[in-house]
Amino acid sequence: MLVNYFKIAIAVLKRRKFFTFISIFIISFTITILVVLAAFIDKVVNDTYPDRNRSRLLYITKFEESGPQSMNSGALSFYYLNRYVKTLKRPARIAISSRPQGTNTYVNNKKISINYKYTDAAYWEVLDHDFLEGKPFTAQQLANGERVAVISERLRKEYFGNAPSVVGQYIEADAVRYRVCGIMKSVPPSNYLFSGDLFLPYTVAKTDIASSKDYRGNFICVLEAPTRADVPAMKAEYEQMAARLPMTNNQYTHIYTHADSYLNAYLRSGNEKKSGMRIVSTVVTIFVLLVMLLPAMNLVNINVTRIMERSSEIGVRKAFGASSKVLAGQFIIENLILTLISGLVSVVLSLIALQLINRANLLNDLHLSLNFNVLLVTLLACLVFGLLSGAYPAWRMSRMQVINALKAS
Amino acid sequence: MFRHLFKLMWNKKKQNFLLMTEMFVSFLVVFAVMTISVYYYGNYRKPVGMDYENVWVVNYSNPLKTDNKDSIWLFYEALQRTVKALPQVREVSFTTSNVPFASATIMNGVGHKGRMISNINWYNVDDNYQRVLDLKLLEGRWFNKQDAVAPVKPVVINATLREELFGNEPATGRQYGDDKQSRVIGVVQDVKMKGDYTVAGRAVYNRTDTASLGGMEKMLVRVTPDANLAFEGRLYKTISTALKTANVEIEHLTDKRGSMNNMSLMPMIILSIVAGFLIINVALGLFGVLWYNINKRRAEIGLRRAVGATGRSVSLQLITEALILSTFSVIAGVFFAVQFPLLNVFDLPAMVYVAAIVLSVLFIYLLVLICAFYPGRQAAAVYPAVALHED
Repeated sequence: MLVNYFKIAIAVLKRRKFFTFISIFIISFTITILVVLAAFIDKVVNDTYPDRNRSRLLYITKFEESGPQSMNSGALSFYYLNRYVKTLKRPARIAISSRPQGTNTYVNNKKISINYKYTDAAYWEVLDHDFLEGKPFTAQQLANGERVAVISERLRKEYFGNAPSVVGQYIEADAVRYRVCGIMKSVPPSNYLFSGDLFLPYTVAKTDIASSKDYRGNFICVLEAPTRADVPAMKAEYEQMAARLPMTNNQYTHIYTHADSYLNAYLRSGNEKKSGMRIVSTVVTIFVLLVMLLPAMNLVNINVTRIMERSSEIGVRKAFGASSKVLAGQFIIENLILTLISGLVSVVLSLIALQLINRANLLNDLHLSLNFNVLLVTLLACLVFGLLSGAYPAWRMSRMQVINALKAS
Repeated sequence: MFRHLFKLMWNKKKQNFLLMTEMFVSFLVVFAVMTISVYYYGNYRKPVGMDYENVWVVNYSNPLKTDNKDSIWLFYEALQRTVKALPQVREVSFTTSNVPFASATIMNGVGHKGRMISNINWYNVDDNYQRVLDLKLLEGRWFNKQDAVAPVKPVVINATLREELFGNEPATGRQYGDDKQSRVIGVVQDVKMKGDYTVAGRAVYNRTDTASLGGMEKMLVRVTPDANLAFEGRLYKTISTALKTANVEIEHLTDKRGSMNNMSLMPMIILSIVAGFLIINVALGLFGVLWYNINKRRAEIGLRRAVGATGRSVSLQLITEALILSTFSVIAGVFFAVQFPLLNVFDLPAMVYVAAIVLSVLFIYLLVLICAFYPGRQAAAVYPAVALHED
């Protein structure tokens, strides 16, 4: 039965090559756009470098104080992390890092822009960076205030060129010389929580980071639970602690701060009233709907036209007792076959598109790829598309009166 | 003839419903792209209002520990002298984080004549700011030392704010605000601080006093055109030696302008690519359906030719039919598009929407014309004998 449908479908596709071309073009381009979008989202959501054990981690990135008149939001202060977060019982380890700041260095008649961050030693244990050379700095080095630095592969290439080994050499940044202790694989800027070029122990910061007694400051923090099962309890413990925080200023009435899963932390806007998650999902949904709606309508249009062409075939089959259901089923299956063929074409197109995007290097170190998740999305998109554009024409066709259908020829 | 064709298409409205919906949605997509393009283009044509070539921004964080305002003041003056003494430096100015082409924005509002004017960009500047950025004075003067002792706070405003406060009259010497707290001493031309594709908006410049020193975290340095990388390294050394506890970064305004422009163009480019793809899509579909429909009407066309219609008039009829069909969609589309200026949805000038609507209507008609052209030509080539014979 299915084999027959398949044969008929191929025969029909061959008959009007121009229409077949239009249909395949439309479907495969639409799916390509969706696949590129999915690859991008997949890169952001599922790229677990350097935070590989995400299921055991919670991220604290924002602290909001708000009152009826005023609202202030930012990252966390070093004081707050030490005084409140580090006293939590549940987390096995706590990693802190400052938000990136920019500086320059001038070497060999070249200017290099550097994003640097201050971290603690636990940062290198909680997050699993790939080290190409050397190793991270230790808690002892941090405590001694040694001027050591972990640098990214990108910075190594720009600063040292093709020197064989640079561990132990000095890098000058921000007018200070640091000894390179390790070189890590670069984190793409899409993972903005952890990307950076130069990582320094927080004890070498030029300013006294511990002096401010505000809650808000320049640090973010990652909590690691001993096991996956402890994560909800750890989250609850943090929220309880946050609920008991005293207000620093009488113009504020509320404090909002959350220990989030990765995606929530990634999208948190820092304003409790504007959920970043909601904004992003709305934009993505509207985009996907728009991208799918017009081509689907277009296909319905073409399919309706093409089905009318086959009215004699429908008439004959109906006259010999085929039910509307069977006929509609056949047309939907034919349409799905067409969509799946286009799906194959779109995989090729997507590979080309992703290759072009990677070549263009829109964001440093960002490499999009077609992986299993994305392929799954492609398949799903094909099915939805096939059903979306096949259902209405099939329904219209199945309602055709036998007399009319036969008369038309 | 139009009435007749109109009736013909209206009678077939159920059959053509999908086609019309498709054109309607394409109209809305084109309208969105056109609105942004017209808006950007309008902004792009306005002058930048400053000279950003050879101006560098020095970012430094949190340099001083003392709370004594006078010693901070002295420190900044000494720093300015040191930097200005460098051979390739022409002018130095201290300001807040909202330097040109930076994402930081500081805004406030003012009550004037019983209404609230909000979203006024607020700049804390010193006496050299105008010379560093080469702002164009339209009237009055820039700040100088005497302003420190002025009884009413002196401010410089931009042309947009002048128009909102005082209409077209000169503003120099006048006070504004419900409690008359500011006195205008000069008006500068609008400056597009956020890149070439954005509006300047309202702006007020305040002279830095000892109370506002805490937020001065950027330095603008105008250098001579021959200032090279070696000099930049020297400037960097000089500043980081003077600001021992600060992290220092030097950026060029030309680079910042580039990345700011990319930021505003990026959504536009993505939207255009998607819209372009959708339009190609619709065009192909439209072409296919029109071609098919015309092929189905060969008998009708043959009959018309047989009773004397020329090939030209036949193809004209088919093209006109397609255009009338799109008129239904365009009317529906314009109805929705007109709501944007009427309800003032995105705070854009009404002219932008009007221009966008006109362009979108033209675009849709052009698209339909192109798609109907070939099928129309084909229909004109029908031989009556052959067409009628088939029946």
